[in-house]
Amino acid sequence: MPVAASAIYFLNLRGDVLINRRYRDDVEGNMVDAFRMNIMQTKELGTCPVRQIGGCSFLYMRISNVYIVIVVSSNANAACGFKFLVEAVALFKSYFGGAFDEDAIRNNFVLIYELLDEIMDFGYPQNLSPEILKLYITQEGVWSPFSSKPVDRPVPNATLQVTGAVGWRREGLAYKKNEVFLDIVESVNLLMSSKGSVLRCDVSGKVLMKCFLSGMPDLKLGLNDKIGLEKESELKSRPTKSGKTIELDDVTFHQCVNLTRFNSEKTVSFVPPDGEFELMKYRITEGVNLPFRVLPTIKELGRTRMEVNVKVKSIFGAKMFALGVVVKIPVPKQTAKANFRVTTGRAKYDAAIDCIVWKIRKFPGQTEPTLSAEVELISTMNEKKSWTRPPIQMEFQVPMFTASGLRVRFLKVWEKSGYNTVEWIRYITKAGSYEIRC
Amino acid sequence: MALSGMRGLAVFISDVRNCQNKEHERLRVDKELGNIRTRFKNEKGMTPYEKKKYVWKMLYIYMLGYDVDFGHMEAVSLISAPKYPEKQVGYIVTSCLLNENHDFLRLAINTVRNDIIGRNETFQCLALTLVGNIGGREFAESLAPDVQKIIISSSCRPLVRKKAALCLLRLFRKNPDVVNVDGWSDRMAQLLDERDLGVLTSSMSLLVALVSNNYDAYWSCLPKCVKVLERLARNQDIPQEYTYYGIPSPWLQVKTMRALQYFPVVEDPSSRKSLFEVLQRILMGTDVVKNVNKNNASHAVLFEALSLVMHLDAEKEMMSQCVALLGKFIAVREPNIRYLGLENMTRMLMVTDLQEIIKRHQAQIITSLKDPDIRYVDVILQLIDKAGDFVSDDIWFRVVQFVTNNEDLQPYAAIKVKEYLDKPSIHETLIKVGAYLLGEYSHLLVRRPGCSPREIFNLIHEKLPTVSTSAIPILLSTYAKILMHTQPPDPELQKQVWTIFRKYESCIDVEIQQRAVEYFEMSKKGAALMDILAEMPRFPERQSALIKKAEDTESDTAEQSAIKLRTQQQTSNALVVTDQPPPINGTATVNQLRLVKVPNMSNSDHRSTDQQLTHTDGMLTVVDPELPNSSADLLGDLLGPLAIEGPPATPRDGVPIEDALALATVGEQPNSVQPIGNIAERFNALCLKDSGVLYEDPYVQIGIKAEWRAHQGRLVLFLGNKNIAPLVSVQALTLPPSHLKMELSLVPETIPPRAQVQCPLQVINLRPSRDVAVLNFSYKFSAHVVDVKLRLPAVLSKFLQPILLNTDEFFSQWRSLSGPPLKLQEVIRGVKPLSLIDMANLFYSFNVTVCPGLDPNPNNLVASTTFYSEITQAMLSLIRIETDPADRTQLRMTVASGEPALTFELMEFIKEQLITIPSNPRPPPPVVEPPNIPAVSLSDPVAMLAGLM
Repeated sequence: MPVAASAIYFLNLRGDVLINRRYRDDVEGNMVDAFRMNIMQTKELGTCPVRQIGGCSFLYMRISNVYIVIVVSSNANAACGFKFLVEAVALFKSYFGGAFDEDAIRNNFVLIYELLDEIMDFGYPQNLSPEILKLYITQEGVWSPFSSKPVDRPVPNATLQVTGAVGWRREGLAYKKNEVFLDIVESVNLLMSSKGSVLRCDVSGKVLMKCFLSGMPDLKLGLNDKIGLEKESELKSRPTKSGKTIELDDVTFHQCVNLTRFNSEKTVSFVPPDGEFELMKYRITEGVNLPFRVLPTIKELGRTRMEVNVKVKSIFGAKMFALGVVVKIPVPKQTAKANFRVTTGRAKYDAAIDCIVWKIRKFPGQTEPTLSAEVELISTMNEKKSWTRPPIQMEFQVPMFTASGLRVRFLKVWEKSGYNTVEWIRYITKAGSYEIRC
Repeated sequence: MALSGMRGLAVFISDVRNCQNKEHERLRVDKELGNIRTRFKNEKGMTPYEKKKYVWKMLYIYMLGYDVDFGHMEAVSLISAPKYPEKQVGYIVTSCLLNENHDFLRLAINTVRNDIIGRNETFQCLALTLVGNIGGREFAESLAPDVQKIIISSSCRPLVRKKAALCLLRLFRKNPDVVNVDGWSDRMAQLLDERDLGVLTSSMSLLVALVSNNYDAYWSCLPKCVKVLERLARNQDIPQEYTYYGIPSPWLQVKTMRALQYFPVVEDPSSRKSLFEVLQRILMGTDVVKNVNKNNASHAVLFEALSLVMHLDAEKEMMSQCVALLGKFIAVREPNIRYLGLENMTRMLMVTDLQEIIKRHQAQIITSLKDPDIRYVDVILQLIDKAGDFVSDDIWFRVVQFVTNNEDLQPYAAIKVKEYLDKPSIHETLIKVGAYLLGEYSHLLVRRPGCSPREIFNLIHEKLPTVSTSAIPILLSTYAKILMHTQPPDPELQKQVWTIFRKYESCIDVEIQQRAVEYFEMSKKGAALMDILAEMPRFPERQSALIKKAEDTESDTAEQSAIKLRTQQQTSNALVVTDQPPPINGTATVNQLRLVKVPNMSNSDHRSTDQQLTHTDGMLTVVDPELPNSSADLLGDLLGPLAIEGPPATPRDGVPIEDALALATVGEQPNSVQPIGNIAERFNALCLKDSGVLYEDPYVQIGIKAEWRAHQGRLVLFLGNKNIAPLVSVQALTLPPSHLKMELSLVPETIPPRAQVQCPLQVINLRPSRDVAVLNFSYKFSAHVVDVKLRLPAVLSKFLQPILLNTDEFFSQWRSLSGPPLKLQEVIRGVKPLSLIDMANLFYSFNVTVCPGLDPNPNNLVASTTFYSEITQAMLSLIRIETDPADRTQLRMTVASGEPALTFELMEFIKEQLITIPSNPRPPPPVVEPPNIPAVSLSDPVAMLAGLM
């Protein structure tokens, strides 16, 4: 296994080191100066997440107002390094109660040092699962001064957890009410030309689960994906039921999924960890159901006037509705004033991002609200600079709708005690980068 | 200020100041700009108060560095507001946001004019200030007469009149052709009678500009100036507010004396007498006191007075008094004053008959040589440390050059950079320069504590992980140097360094890899390393590109243009010395000391001694052997592709090192005009290529660019004046040999400063010949007359065009041309030993194509070319070379063509190229007799045929 990090630094936006941990001695302590001088203080910041200076590689990412920098000197595995960073941030967030920023780091120095010691050893990533780490690093993060003190739990044997056959689940769990929550969350990325033809479109989705189940249950999930259905019909030697089947690309599973069974039977069966986890991730590039279509017409009338007409069409079921819809319609920098007429929602001009921002809180399916605006521009010194017309951007959430058409066919829970479980299943589609050229 | 009432503005400013980072600030500013745009676009219009408020905000945003490209209209429109608060904002914002080239200003001209001719004094002042700051040509055209009227108007208050005088000064400096100052001498004279010192000071500035342009019209002002000076010197009627530390208006004194220096002589005996009285009083009355400000002011006056005394050719008694005074100055402890004293003493030396008096101070002057200087190295290192990102490579290259060329500076520089490297985090450029200098000179520090090779090595090696790829090669060189300087060898250090070299042997960067491999191998050689890695040689003295760049930028500013104007308009008896600013950290008064006149006669007397040689010699083909180009290449190789310019003059002991940094030191030109580079080499290079430099000396550079088509050629000579003064009496004559027809277009007699003149030259080749055309070029620069004869690269090979023949074509031709005079054969001895490939390349370089595979003998070479001339037109020529593999110094050459003259000339030409006789560019007399060239051979086909037979 390749090394992922020789040292890890947390810096604020000014470049001060908030906290750092050196795992190996093959990089100097002052390497972070090189990062500060050659990356942070130049325009190259944010252009490339991996940079090499003087024989060292810097892998860095920005989370809110903190830069996390991995310094590594040998031929490291960059993907592993970044995965480690992402997981570490998720871990910190779960310890700090959701927030990860400069203040959270300053408030939790001791805890972070303890965690950093635990999650990586001599540059090799170790167990990053919050569920397990919380068992033996019991020191709670500082949430807020008023939070109630958590109940003291007996410290279980962590070694057993890490080395056992089902490492991700503790034995002897008991719940009064056995419940499983399953969410399918999809984000749609789209680039559409002004004429309405799709230039690029894909959906990246994940299946999130939250389990409150007693004992050691075995779960089996059936989706309407193509391979699973075909295999099933083959096994049961009966023709596939009519209905939509989905082709999933790039599927990755949580470590709890039994891959041998998936390979032979194409079913997703697993013993879930306790609490929240991400069961699988996938991507879909074909047969995407777009939730919205946008029809823009933007006319520049002379040098100081513009007419903007935007129609947004919702093309999901009439009974469903989208929430938090925001349409950002770019306007030139020299916009002075905009008068709007909207059929629903509210619109305003935001000078800081040079956009007309149109917000619709609740957007029912099969409707088409419109916005028409008259934009007045101020005359400037250099008239020659023409406006580049950046694309219109959209944000939204559509509950109970999947852009991919993915459905859960069944979720079976089997435990030797044979208790009954309640299964909750939700679907939600969000906007990724949803852009329409105008 | 009227800001107090504007809450919105105050809130905005505090918002911006409270922003955590740049991004927040940008968002806040963008939001505000959107707000301002909305307000400006509002149909209902704004109250003047609102407009004022938003224009202020706009100015604040603009000052923060954001692009504000709207709202100029609003700012300009505020100028026409009726009330003072709005009008003031309009004027201030307009003069900040716009410059003289903006079209928007046209809209304001009328309003500004109304304000100027109006009755309201405050408005007049605002308008005059705006014009004085950003007034361009159009302003000058429409407003100059009004401004002139105000200056002389008796009804205006002094406050307005002095602003008007300064405003006119700007208009005049910018567009001397537009502002009509004919007949202004009387008015100027009248103005100088003014009692108010403010107006007088402004008028004097105006007068300085006017007399620098044309002193002849202002003779009437001269006695008035003397009067003013008298009044000031006697401290008569000087209001309290115009005295500075008890000195009556030092600014006015300096300006008046400056103005007087533009007049060649003071003839009127009474004026002269009273002027000398005043000067005497100034000379006597100045002393060094404790207060720095007072010193600065009184010395400014004093040194201006000294210049004036020198200019006026005062009586010897007064001069010796001046020298005595300077003697006192140079004995003072304070270095600034001593510097000024020595500086002026140098000028004094140029006045005749004073040497003896000055000699008395020789001991003191020699003592001053021991003074420590403010070192260039200190300043630049500090600069890199503080603003490393903004220091380009050529700046630190210059530090290296400086230190390399100044032996006594080397240990000092090494100590200095070590101090910087000791700091925890430093800029990469500083690491580069530090590593380079320590590599070269750290062995000079060995005896000091903490400077053993191993410590130095550790210090530098600590930085290695933090630097980028471009710096690593320098560090590797440093390690190699340290290793070489470590005597006796330190096995441990050696091991460490070798480990590093070995680590980088497989580096992906070729430069680093090569160095690592080479240094590793070299460092195994032990003592032999000493020779290879010896100290870098001195850099050749050249004009620095940096200084050139600095001069170019400098010449843009308005003040400089005024100086240039004056420089160009100098009459023959005065020379302007533009010197570096005196090292007084001081007042504006002192900074104005830059312009000093020196009588020209005495000046040239003193430097012509050395020149005599060059003058009489005339022809300047001396090659300077002191310019080893290779040393520059060495460093160029070491430091990457950037070209390096050597320092312009060697600063010797005692001469302040900043001298080399001073801009345009006209007074310090070398005493003889030496060509830069080897003229013969330049010519030889140009024979093989079509563009390049034909000749260069410190003043002029002649470039050449040529196009050749058949028997015609079009050359362009680029005559470039490298200096800030014009070259005069420029003459260029071509002396073509009989076979070339040359037509040189008119060469202008004067080349303006820093300008390049192009002179096309048409060449027609009439017949084959090896004679070379000569360009006779001469010019005059200040006292130097330079006359050079340069060979022009219109040689035989330029009229050749390569042609590739196949076997049949070649042999049919070859056979048809049999025997002399069309086919000549000769055994040539003493040729440069060349391999066949090198020889083929040599042939290609003068447009002769080698036809491979035609000759069965691999030791032979067969080639062909086409020659063009007006007589022969295109003519095929064939060449065969038979070499002896046993003895490369001899070969047999056969040349054949359809024209006997061509055959002979081509043979001789190739022979010249093959034989090495460095001392004599001409070949030895040919072994064979030149064939009898039949005069009519080509016009007569029969004769031609006969020749072929």
